[in-house]
Amino acid sequence: MRPSSLFYNIKQGFKNIWRNRMFSMASIATMSACILLFSIFFSILINVNYMIRTLEEEVGVSVLFDEGTSEERIKEIGTEIEKLDHVTSIAYTSPEEAWASFCEEYFEGNEELAESFRSDNPLEYSASYTVHVDEIENQDAVVARIEKIEGVRKINQSASAVSTLTAFNTLMTYGSIAIIAVLLVVAVFLISNTVSIGISVRRHEIAIMKYIGATDAFVRAPFIVEGILLGAIGAAIPLAVVYFAYDRLVGILLARFDILSTISSSLPDSMVVFRILLPIGLILGVGIGLFGSIITVRKHLSV
Amino acid sequence: MIDLDHVSKSYEKGQPAVNDITLHVNKGEFVFVVGESGSGKSTLIKLLLHELAPTSGQITVNDHVLSTLRHKDIPKYRREIGVVFQDFRLLNDRNVYENVAFAQHVVETPGRKIRKRVPEVLQMVGLAEKYRSLPRQLSGGEQQRVAVARAIVNRPALLLADEPTGNLDPRNSLDIMNLLQKINDNGTTVLVVTHNRELVDMFHKRVITMRRGIIASDVEEGKYHEA
Repeated sequence: MRPSSLFYNIKQGFKNIWRNRMFSMASIATMSACILLFSIFFSILINVNYMIRTLEEEVGVSVLFDEGTSEERIKEIGTEIEKLDHVTSIAYTSPEEAWASFCEEYFEGNEELAESFRSDNPLEYSASYTVHVDEIENQDAVVARIEKIEGVRKINQSASAVSTLTAFNTLMTYGSIAIIAVLLVVAVFLISNTVSIGISVRRHEIAIMKYIGATDAFVRAPFIVEGILLGAIGAAIPLAVVYFAYDRLVGILLARFDILSTISSSLPDSMVVFRILLPIGLILGVGIGLFGSIITVRKHLSV
Repeated sequence: MIDLDHVSKSYEKGQPAVNDITLHVNKGEFVFVVGESGSGKSTLIKLLLHELAPTSGQITVNDHVLSTLRHKDIPKYRREIGVVFQDFRLLNDRNVYENVAFAQHVVETPGRKIRKRVPEVLQMVGLAEKYRSLPRQLSGGEQQRVAVARAIVNRPALLLADEPTGNLDPRNSLDIMNLLQKINDNGTTVLVVTHNRELVDMFHKRVITMRRGIIASDVEEGKYHEA
């Protein structure tokens, strides 16, 4: 197709949208709702994933030793743990450090109570290693290996928050896929309907085009352009909304819900989300528009 | 230019609309096809436009054997034919210029050629001044002239006119027929299907008369009443 013809057909595509503006608006609104929901779910998933990763970094496993284990043996145990697969870091906490940390947390304002224990460290046998693993799924396997090391008395595992978040994430993923799938079908149906109305409105013009000698591609092109435009506009609106609302919303959420700020002091900013969301959203919108118009043109426009 | 060799066209019910017609029209000829309603004139136009395929026989137009045309070659074939209808079939939401330019856009003519050619054709049909008018702002005769301009803007070798004066008064009918004569003088073969006895008699052209799907008479410089 010549560039001038392409330009002509794009112009006709815009005109089609304007001629059927009510139906076009319905299609764009449905598409926008679909992409907006997709964007919201996508942003939530990215944020939950981010929290899980943060927690994975923060939530470690505490390894405690048998009473009377020598410092040398503790060092050997540390070396053995470091060698295990999936272990990313290991930090030693001495009994003194453990007591100091305990005092800071529980005797704040009542330092005289802590004074009574000055000569006697109740946490004498509380030396420990804090072990971090690469992914939370690997934590159980690492714990099982550590338990077998001689001299290890007890392992404290606190992965329940992470497990809950992971389960929530999975549920969100399936839920959002189901909702988005339904909306996509509705969007395809509405775009197809709009395009088929455009075809019936222009039946007279199409007949003249055929008499004059228009090729199949030329007759179909404006309707394909119309579908693509409906999809692209329908995707651009919610993406713009999400772009401008995201950072503000994250700020409000972090300020309102303390739980979020204890999990993670910050959440991914809009650029991080947008780098992935923008192309996916646009491709989705344009793809639905293209698909909706192609099936309609094939069905109603056998030229 | 046009060769019909024992062409018949039957619809599902009733007798054939066109029954074993053999016809030859030379390049550059001006031919009237006359006959009563249902005599097969419109079917003949549809066969020539390759809108219908004959039940039997062979049609050749401008060296194209229509039965061997592939689907993708039909648009190219139709670009060699201009067509004018009784009801004008203009695009009512577009002005005179856009209606004529439309035919050039459809065959993917470059923009600069469209800008040169459309005013030329509008000048020829006498509507240069009214290029911005919408169809509803024009008289019937003017609307038909726009339709003629649209039909010839792509320089077809053959112009088919199906009752071009059917909706016009005698004065406008004569204007349109003179315009078709002018187009014929420039070398385009013209085939006019009409009921207009006065015009047929006035122009002294070849007259083919159809009756019940057959050619009842074919007379050079004929008259309507000879049918």
